[in-house]
Amino acid sequence: MIPELGERGKMSDEKEKKEQQEGKEGFHISRRDFLKDAGLVVGAPTLGSISATAEAATQAGKGAAGTKETPAPSATPGPELTTIELTVNGGKYRYAVEPHWSLRQLLRDHVGYTSPKDWCGGQGACGSCTVIMNGRAVLSCMTLACECDGAKIETAEGIAKAKHPIIQAYINNNAFQCGYCTPGFVCTAKALLDKNSTPTEADVRDALGGNLCRCATYQRHPPAVLEAARNLKPGA
Amino acid sequence: MKTWKRFAHVNAKTIDEASSILRGGKAALISGGTDLLGTMRFEILPDYPEVLVNLKTVPGLDYVKEEGGMLRIGALTRLEDIVRNDTIRNKYAALAEAAHRTATPHIREMGTLAGNICQFNRCWYFRNPDNRFNCIRKGGKQCFAMMGDNRYHSIFGAVKMCLAVNPSDTAPALVALNAKIKTNKRLIEAEQFWEMTVPGSTVLAADEIVTEIQIPTPGAGVKSAFIKFAIRKSIDFPIVNCAAMVGGGQARVCLNAVYNKPYRATAAEEAIKGKAINEDNADAAGAAAVAAAKALPGDRNKWKIPIAKTMVKRAILACA
Repeated sequence: MIPELGERGKMSDEKEKKEQQEGKEGFHISRRDFLKDAGLVVGAPTLGSISATAEAATQAGKGAAGTKETPAPSATPGPELTTIELTVNGGKYRYAVEPHWSLRQLLRDHVGYTSPKDWCGGQGACGSCTVIMNGRAVLSCMTLACECDGAKIETAEGIAKAKHPIIQAYINNNAFQCGYCTPGFVCTAKALLDKNSTPTEADVRDALGGNLCRCATYQRHPPAVLEAARNLKPGA
Repeated sequence: MKTWKRFAHVNAKTIDEASSILRGGKAALISGGTDLLGTMRFEILPDYPEVLVNLKTVPGLDYVKEEGGMLRIGALTRLEDIVRNDTIRNKYAALAEAAHRTATPHIREMGTLAGNICQFNRCWYFRNPDNRFNCIRKGGKQCFAMMGDNRYHSIFGAVKMCLAVNPSDTAPALVALNAKIKTNKRLIEAEQFWEMTVPGSTVLAADEIVTEIQIPTPGAGVKSAFIKFAIRKSIDFPIVNCAAMVGGGQARVCLNAVYNKPYRATAAEEAIKGKAINEDNADAAGAAAVAAAKALPGDRNKWKIPIAKTMVKRAILACA
């Protein structure tokens, strides 16, 4: 535990220095960008979000190494790499993906949207990796990237950027504590509101039944989603 | 997060193409993928598929139609689409409720009806990661649940020494509704569809693919219902579930998660057939359903028997 505290201390020093450097032009750097940099400097990341970044970096490295390897001769049919085109938060992307990549891996390591989280380790049990795919709230950890050709995907970043009322409603209702599960909840709630703009509390509880929150903020989610439904502009 | 080991992936264009790849061996069919990808990620089975055949790219398998005195549901119909379908909710209530109580909204948006009835059985030894328990279901020599912790296991005995239970919620609903399952080779009565194999849970041949589920439209005065007992309201697999279709002098009652395959409670059917649906008769039917049930040595799963009895009773009462 002590080295971990040490690392944290070191990072906060880094942060202060960086803040001082950035101070003159105004502080534009996001927390995540900073943590990415800090993770590289420190080298032994201990915080959750840094671990995720480091994991992403290793996985990206593996992926790159994998593509350079000469593919082992295989009797089974099917290409090693599939080219897929998909729309993520309104932007169009084209990737050559390996068959065993999950959509979550593609979104985080390659497209650069880090809101699909991992909690249950890919069992489909927690809802933290939820994204909206073709109007359906799905688990990105249980979706193969190569099967997403032509898909239209929305992540929590896209929902926030579009200033969907669900974001402000979540803030107004304090419907989170640590925030790790929140992107999953937001995506699920947005998919519900897209289908049903006037949900009842029972509908909301039913729709959010697949999202787990370790901080147990469950009671705050239905009022937040109902508030968002009230604030939905027609056609938004 | 554990990543998958490598495999090849083919988008099938037709059922025949998918079937011919499956015939080549070491291949698995993927539709929703919520069960298959989990077993692969945690390397539950000793054999890892070399190729996945994607059925979602085969056109024309996602539909719900009521015609010719029956309801026809395409194999790729998502469970959530079944939940939202008004025809199914009104006339085939047991199926709509069973689909609604399956897993979570996310998994229902991904998982298909055909996939739900073809899922692997559930047993914590069988499902342990990295094939730690090479049980009879995986070509091993013993059942670890027989002497181990079997609190969630079969109350109607073992099949070929396996005590794992079928966890599907929609399966008992389909048996109660007297459904037929159409594959690319034949038409199978729902009741005959499940069988203990290594490692599967259905009678399907290696290259056989479910294409459609057919349910005869129930006559006037016939009602169906589905009841599930689980630890949590959402997400959980059933401890015991029960579907019933009663009315017009007929009765069909099916339990699941109590046996290796959906367990049709014929004794309960006989007890309620032609009688008024009331508390006493339903209670008698529940007692008849579990008359043949027997806890495993050590009585760890004895608690499931009164639950099964009550599920039968409540499912029948819900058909009133």
